[in-house]
Amino acid sequence: MTEARKTFLLGALGILAFLALWEVAGQGRWLGLSWPPLSAVLALLVDENRQPLFARALGATLSSLGTGYLIGGAGGIAAAALAHLATPLRPGLERTNAFIHAIPSVALAPLLILVVGREGTPATLAALNTFFILYVSTASGLAATPPALKDLVQVLGGGRWTRLRRLDLPMALPTIVSGMRLAAPSALIGVIIGEWFGAPRGVGVLVINAMQNFQIPLLWAAVLLAVLVSLSLFGLFGALHRGVVARLR
Amino acid sequence: MDTQPAIAVRGVTKRFRLDDGSEFTALDDISLSLAEGEFVTLLGPSGCGKSTILRLVAALEAPSAGTVLVEGKAPAELSRQHRLGVAFQDHALLPWLDVAANIALPFRVAGQKVDEARVAALIRLVGLAGFEKARPRQLSGGMRQRVAIARALVLKPDVLLLDEPFGALDAVTRRQMNIELQRIWTEQRTTTLLVTHDVGEALFLSDRIVVLSGRPGRVVRVVDVPFARPRDPAIMRSALFHEMSDDLTEALAPPAGAP
Repeated sequence: MTEARKTFLLGALGILAFLALWEVAGQGRWLGLSWPPLSAVLALLVDENRQPLFARALGATLSSLGTGYLIGGAGGIAAAALAHLATPLRPGLERTNAFIHAIPSVALAPLLILVVGREGTPATLAALNTFFILYVSTASGLAATPPALKDLVQVLGGGRWTRLRRLDLPMALPTIVSGMRLAAPSALIGVIIGEWFGAPRGVGVLVINAMQNFQIPLLWAAVLLAVLVSLSLFGLFGALHRGVVARLR
Repeated sequence: MDTQPAIAVRGVTKRFRLDDGSEFTALDDISLSLAEGEFVTLLGPSGCGKSTILRLVAALEAPSAGTVLVEGKAPAELSRQHRLGVAFQDHALLPWLDVAANIALPFRVAGQKVDEARVAALIRLVGLAGFEKARPRQLSGGMRQRVAIARALVLKPDVLLLDEPFGALDAVTRRQMNIELQRIWTEQRTTTLLVTHDVGEALFLSDRIVVLSGRPGRVVRVVDVPFARPRDPAIMRSALFHEMSDDLTEALAPPAGAP
């Protein structure tokens, strides 16, 4: 058995053990009513009567996530590329970025409700989280071009723009995709926090409502839904990252 | 003088500021000139600043004193006009491009249409036919250097700068590459400045050898190489070659006790 397969199997075994423990703890009511067995949560998730509810919530969350992620991601990459081309802009952009990122999303959300409204807050928070991560990963990726390759492009008579396009960007791509992967769960956190502050629908709304009405299995189902979205995005970008690395290195 | 030299280095001194604030003189009052179509080698021990001379000619560094002119103009002119070819010790190939695309890179950087026929001709010239679609990591060290040399030649540069292009290769491959570079160069006759610490390489390839001393780099000797071109590898076994080789080795590392 190869080392990679062994690691994979051991990882899968760990997850299975955790899920089994979850089920046993739920069945045995070890933690009271607030810890339902996994089977009950899964049954609720696939319950036909609940499908429209989950579909609506998931649709709203994914739409905020997609919008915020795309805008924030494109903005982060563009800002980092701009800072890379126009060096004097770099310190200002970096500080503004760090400043905005230092404000906790939870503190920012009520402000955003007033500024962009209840509908727009989840996407805005997702965009802010994504922007920060993609700015940082793009900037560090662009700065990592080996000096010998920079010399080469200069000797060939290429300017900054040519260097960015022909050399720095392809060189930075694995780091950028790695940032995309990290940004996906982070953007989802932004969406769910935004939804808590009064969005009309979404997985975050489902979580809040279920909690306030003490619908424990529904609460767990909503959380599980969020986890599934986060993990699939992480896995998807992981595969993309492997593809990019194989292509570029 | 009715013809201006292709490369003119006049009274060049290069000092670097070190991290602790002190200054380090890498080159001290260096002068040399290359005629058009001449192959000159800078021969010196490691750390003698010979690569710095090359970087000055490539406009990658600026002199602290003195002037560097290429075709009578600032060296940066030449690279801006995409008429400079360079191969470094580090092959500096782009890992995501295959052999053909790496060789075609200078066309793309220059914003010119890729001359596929020229790229194909160079791939044949450096003996890489059949490897057009291979990526750098699939190639051996010698093959990567061939790609780097083909890339340096693709735009038919006026000046070719070679910085220890075979420095990382084993002795057998290196010799093989020297024989091939000699063959390729004889077809193109591009003004070439080569940096090396290998005496045999310098003798086999160049018209003239400039011997540098170390720390700070100074010209200690200039030697004309008499062998006619095209050169047969057999000249490396001739008595004259051995004699000159011994002579240059001694000039490189003066025996202990010498002033």
